Amino acid sequence: MPEASNYMRIVKVIIEEAVSLLVGFAVAVIILLFSGYEPLSVISILFSEGFRNTEVLMKQSIPVIATGLAFSIPALAGLFNIGGESQLYIGAFTGLVSTYIIYNATGQPVLSSVTGLVSGTLAGGFWGFIIGYLRARRSVNEVVVAIMMNWTTYYLVLYLIVSRFTDPIYSHMSVFVPASSRIPDVLGFIMIAGVAVLTYIVLRYSSLGYSIRVAGLNPKAAVYAGFNLEKIFITAMSISGAIAGLGGALFVLSVIYSIDTTMSAIYGLGFLGIGIGLLGRNNPIGVVLAGLFISGLQFGGQWVELRTGAPPYLTDVVIGIIVIALSATYTYELLVSKLRRG
Amino acid sequence: MIDFLIALIENTLYSATVVLLGALGAIINEKSGVVNIGVEGVFILSAFSTVYFTLASGNLAIGILLALVVSGLAGLIHGLISIYLRGDQVIIGVGFNMVAAGLTIVMMVTTWGDYSQTPQIQKLQGLQFTIGGKVFIIPLFSIVAILVGLAEWFILEKTKYGLVLKACGDEPRAAEAMGINVFRTRLLATVLGAVVMGLGGVFLSAEWFGNYTKATTAGRGFIALANEAFSNWNPAMAIAGALLFGFFEALSISLPIQLQSMLGRQFTAETYLFKMMPYVATIIVITMVMKKIRMPRALGKPYIKE
Repeated sequence: MPEASNYMRIVKVIIEEAVSLLVGFAVAVIILLFSGYEPLSVISILFSEGFRNTEVLMKQSIPVIATGLAFSIPALAGLFNIGGESQLYIGAFTGLVSTYIIYNATGQPVLSSVTGLVSGTLAGGFWGFIIGYLRARRSVNEVVVAIMMNWTTYYLVLYLIVSRFTDPIYSHMSVFVPASSRIPDVLGFIMIAGVAVLTYIVLRYSSLGYSIRVAGLNPKAAVYAGFNLEKIFITAMSISGAIAGLGGALFVLSVIYSIDTTMSAIYGLGFLGIGIGLLGRNNPIGVVLAGLFISGLQFGGQWVELRTGAPPYLTDVVIGIIVIALSATYTYELLVSKLRRG
Repeated sequence: MIDFLIALIENTLYSATVVLLGALGAIINEKSGVVNIGVEGVFILSAFSTVYFTLASGNLAIGILLALVVSGLAGLIHGLISIYLRGDQVIIGVGFNMVAAGLTIVMMVTTWGDYSQTPQIQKLQGLQFTIGGKVFIIPLFSIVAILVGLAEWFILEKTKYGLVLKACGDEPRAAEAMGINVFRTRLLATVLGAVVMGLGGVFLSAEWFGNYTKATTAGRGFIALANEAFSNWNPAMAIAGALLFGFFEALSISLPIQLQSMLGRQFTAETYLFKMMPYVATIIVITMVMKKIRMPRALGKPYIKE
C-alpha cells in the first residue's frame, strides 16, 4: 500500500520535527533560567511578536527561503553548497546596480526592476556555476571553493559599493533602489514561493530532478545507468546559485533597497539558509515553511530584546539546537523500538 | 624594507597557526571516519572560554586548560551523537557552529553586559629576537602547531595507532574484524581532534588578540577545513597549506601599507581588493595542484554493527 506508507512517512517526519523543536526550546529554557531571564515570558514574546505581522514575516523570509533552496538542491545531488552566502551577495549587488542604472537611463520602473531581477539571478547562477565546474571538471572540493568565494565576494561587493556606488547623502550606504522601481507589498515573497513550488515540481516530476536525486542517492549506480555526473553537478550548482542570486535581488528590491557598507543587512543569510534547508528536509515546500518559521523566531528575538533585555542571539542557539536534534533521527527510532519492547 | 619583511613573516605565522591547528584537529577526526565541519564552533567556544576562565580564575594557565576541556567536551558531544546515535555528521556541525556563536554572545552580554567584546587578558609573550635593531616575534603557538603537525604525521604514517585510526575511517568492518573497537576509536578521535582544534581557539585569544569579540574567529575555522581538503588529509601538507594561506593573508595586510608609503597616497576602497588576495590565491593554487581527492573511504558514514 504505497499511500499508507507515504502517509506514515509524513507522520514520522512531523513527529521528528516536533520532538526536535521541543528539545531546542527545552535547552533555550535552561539557558534562560541560568542567565536570569523569565523563560515563559521570553518564549511567549518570541512567538506572539514574531508571527504577529504577516507582511513583515513574508518579506524577511525571502532571502533565507532562497538560500535554503540553494542549499537543498545540491544537497539532493550529494553536494554541500556552503556558497549561498556569496551567491546572495552578488545577486543582491548586481540586482541593485542594474535596476539603478537602467532606471536612470530609461526612466522605466518595470523594465528596470525586471532587469535587476534577471541580472541578479544570472550573476548568482554564474557564481554557482564556478563551484560546480571546478568540482566536476577539476575535482576541486566544492566546500573549499565556496568558502573562498564567500570571502572574495564579500570584499568585492564592498569594494564596488565604496568605490563607485555610495549614496551621495548617506555615505555608509550604497545607492538606493529608485522609489518607483521597488517591488511592492509581498510580491517578492510570492515570487520566491513560486520558485519553490516550481523547484518542487522539477525535482519530483522531471528527468532533471530524477537524475539529481539518483546522483545523490547512489553516484556509482548513476554512472552505470548512464547519467553524466559532471553535468548534473554543474547544473545543480548553477540552478541553486541562480535561486540564491534571485533571493538577493528580491530582498534588495522589495525590502532593504540599499546595501550598507558593513553588509550587515545581508551577512549570514546564506549560512542561515543551510539550517533552513536542513529543517525543511531538503523539500522545497518544507524550506518555505522553515524559512517563515525561522524568520519569525528571529524577528521575535528582536522584540524579546526590547521587552526583556535578553540578547536576540538566543534565537541562534535555539535554531542550532533544533538543527542538532533533527540530525539524530535514529535516536527516535531507537526510543520507539525500546518502548515497544518494554 | 626590513620592517616590511618582519611584519610579513610575523603575520604569516599568526595567520597560519590558527588555520594549521584547525586542520590538524579535523584530520584526526576525519581519518577515523567522522566529519566535523564544526571547527569554527570549536574555535569560538575555546577562544571565548580562554578569556572567560582566565578572568574568573585570575590565571591564564587555568583559563587555557579549561578552554581545552570545553573543546574536548564539544568533541565528545559531537562524537556521541554522530557515532552512537548515527546523527548526520554534517548537520550536527552546522547546528554546533550556530549554537557556539549564539551562546558565547549571550554569555558575553549576561557576564559583562557587552555585545561586542570581552575585557582584555594578559597575553602570552612569544619568543623575541632582535634582527638589525628590529624586534622579531615568533608566537609560541606557532611552534606548538608545527610540532603537533609533525607528531601527527609521524603517528598516522609510521605507528600502529595511525594504522588503527585509518582502518576505522577506510574499512570499519575490516577494522572490527581485526579486533578494533570502531566506536571507541572514533569517539577518542573526535575528542582528541576537538582538543587540537581548541588549541587554535586558545591561540586566538591567549596569544593573538588578548580578548574575544564576534570577529575573533572570522571564518578561520572554515579556512582550516579548506586547508584540510587542500592537504589531502596529510598533516605535513597541512603545514605547507597553512603557511601558504598565511603568507597571502599577511601580504594582503603588509603590501597595501608598503605601497601607500611608496606611492605617498592613502588607499580607501582599494584595501578591500587587497583583502581578497588570500582567498583568490587559494582558489587558484588549489585548482592548479588538485589531484585526485583521497578522503577516508567511510568518511561521514555512521558505522552500524551487524
